[in-house]
Amino acid sequence: MDLLTGILATTFLAGGVLALAAMGEVLAERVGVVNLGAEGLMAMGAITGVATVAAVPSPALGFAAALVVGALFGMVFAFATVTVRANQVLCGLALTLIGTGLANTIGRSYSGTPSAAVFERVEVPLLSDIPILGPALFSQNVLLYLIYIVLPLGLHYLLFHTRHGLNMRAVGENPAAADAGGIPVGLIRFAYVTAGAALCGGAGAYLTLAFVPAWSDGMVAGRGWIAVSLVIFAGYRPVNAVLTALLFGLITSIGFVGQARNWPVAAPFLSMLPYLGTIALMIVPVLAWQKVRRLMAAPAALGEPFYRDVR
Amino acid sequence: MLQGLRLQRLPSVQPGIALAMRALAIAIVVLAASIALLVAGEDPLALGAQLVSATFSSTFGMEDFGLLVIPLILTGLSVAVGQQIGTWNIGAEGQFLVGAFAATAVGLFVPGPAWLILPLIIAAGALGGVVWILVPTLARAFVGVNELITTLLLNFVAALLVYYVSTGPWRDRVGMSNSSTPRITVEMPEFWGLIHWGLPIAILIALAAAAILAFSRWGYEVRLSGSNPSAAAYAGIAVGRHIITVMLLSGLIAGVAGAFELAGTVHRLQGGISNNFGYLGIMVAVLARNSCVGVIFTGILMAFILNSGIILQTQGITTSAVLAMTGAILFLTAIGDELAHYRILRTASTRA
Repeated sequence: MDLLTGILATTFLAGGVLALAAMGEVLAERVGVVNLGAEGLMAMGAITGVATVAAVPSPALGFAAALVVGALFGMVFAFATVTVRANQVLCGLALTLIGTGLANTIGRSYSGTPSAAVFERVEVPLLSDIPILGPALFSQNVLLYLIYIVLPLGLHYLLFHTRHGLNMRAVGENPAAADAGGIPVGLIRFAYVTAGAALCGGAGAYLTLAFVPAWSDGMVAGRGWIAVSLVIFAGYRPVNAVLTALLFGLITSIGFVGQARNWPVAAPFLSMLPYLGTIALMIVPVLAWQKVRRLMAAPAALGEPFYRDVR
Repeated sequence: MLQGLRLQRLPSVQPGIALAMRALAIAIVVLAASIALLVAGEDPLALGAQLVSATFSSTFGMEDFGLLVIPLILTGLSVAVGQQIGTWNIGAEGQFLVGAFAATAVGLFVPGPAWLILPLIIAAGALGGVVWILVPTLARAFVGVNELITTLLLNFVAALLVYYVSTGPWRDRVGMSNSSTPRITVEMPEFWGLIHWGLPIAILIALAAAAILAFSRWGYEVRLSGSNPSAAAYAGIAVGRHIITVMLLSGLIAGVAGAFELAGTVHRLQGGISNNFGYLGIMVAVLARNSCVGVIFTGILMAFILNSGIILQTQGITTSAVLAMTGAILFLTAIGDELAHYRILRTASTRA
């Protein structure tokens, strides 16, 4: 593979982790719940993936197990934030601590050894022979097609072209009005916070089963937080979330290439790029185009609990 | 719902109920951990007794415990101060690291007598903390960018920076370790065993912050801006300017914590110097309900939990497990906080 193909292939691979988690976060935030536990959910998903394939060497099963674990943690989080209406910021931070701590505790016995099974590349006939683009786009693992094509288009359709999607957005924008209109606010919030958490768990498993195929302490390394910020930058839209994730995949990829080619920049500085890039991306667009603010506005009831009985 | 009983949500919480809820949260987590230990074939009661005796009946235990209290009070204070105006400084970890980094720069490369260098080290730490929160502060005040995520992402950058200098250019080339800098030339004087003057100073800083917030005009305006920004702005208070000073102060305190940890406890810069103090500070502040005096007590409580974790490590329980436990306490605290808002009413009518 030449340089450009290598960069592109890594971009898609690295962006996939962020895209999956960011889409999960879009789901939760669209119905009005900020889940700052993405980092912890990804850690749990990552170790679940590794532990599952160590027992049964099937990456699909590992990925499914991570989805389930993510959903379980998501239900606990949804119980706290939607049912009890506890502070979302605190619960999210707590979930990150719990997930990271648990994953590192469970992960001690898996540390350092490569994942027993990983998602293999699938070569799409003919298309993978296209120069430069072919190997990067059509010689990837099967999850990537799910992440880049099926999920974003499916979620976009769900959110913006179905009646149910309209209900979801209503719950995030104005839960009181939605409630008055007979939409089950609590149920919808609970369901999509759980579904979003499942996707975050899946993103963790993608990390250990496709991208960096081994478990190590602290390997999620802030990707959950980057995913949370990408959602803001993506204006809470699934397709945009994938595009911004790709941008970040590119930044990560450039860092990798720099290390591999011995650029005269120390490796830790190249590793800083995704974090600094995220911060820059959160600030620059708002500075440059004031209008962006309204266009990309968060759901109006984001982060606010809904009390039906208190009027 | 039961006949004649109704739940009512109150807008405010009585301190007594809130305190009880926090105690309950900790008790539930300790109970859950005990059950987990029982299942794993350990005796939780014996372990608990061992924890208390290991901490309080030996000089070593008291020293370790006291040294942990210092950074936890300060990082907790850092988060609590930010919360006064409603900002979340989740970046105390990064400001702590950069504070320690800046303090190391002075400690390693500025020659001079200790009475001059020591204040310089602490000033450098404070400056490091301020520099590290500067961009999130300006972004929040002028562009409206959520500080929660920007401060947090800078933690990772700070960790990479400290990792780079302590294993790279500032690496100790003489000593046996090649993952830390050489020992800095001056250190904080100690007053009891290994416990240095950072402890009383940290307590004084917390009391001073509480006093300034409670009694000064600035503190009044900050608290008003925090509880109701629009009312404060309407009353002519420069809310944006207060956000800047409060956030910079928050970073400064975390930076000082890093300088104290370096000059008083660890004496050399290394990757793990932060020991999650920044993240645990969030816990300390939340448990203290963002009271600057309260963080002194919750800092001590957190230090005991953390120290227990270190003692438990000899029993095969890791710091990660302790991190998960603190997360669980935080989680239950958040739930308990909300439940504390409710009271059960008896109603005459049977309409449930």
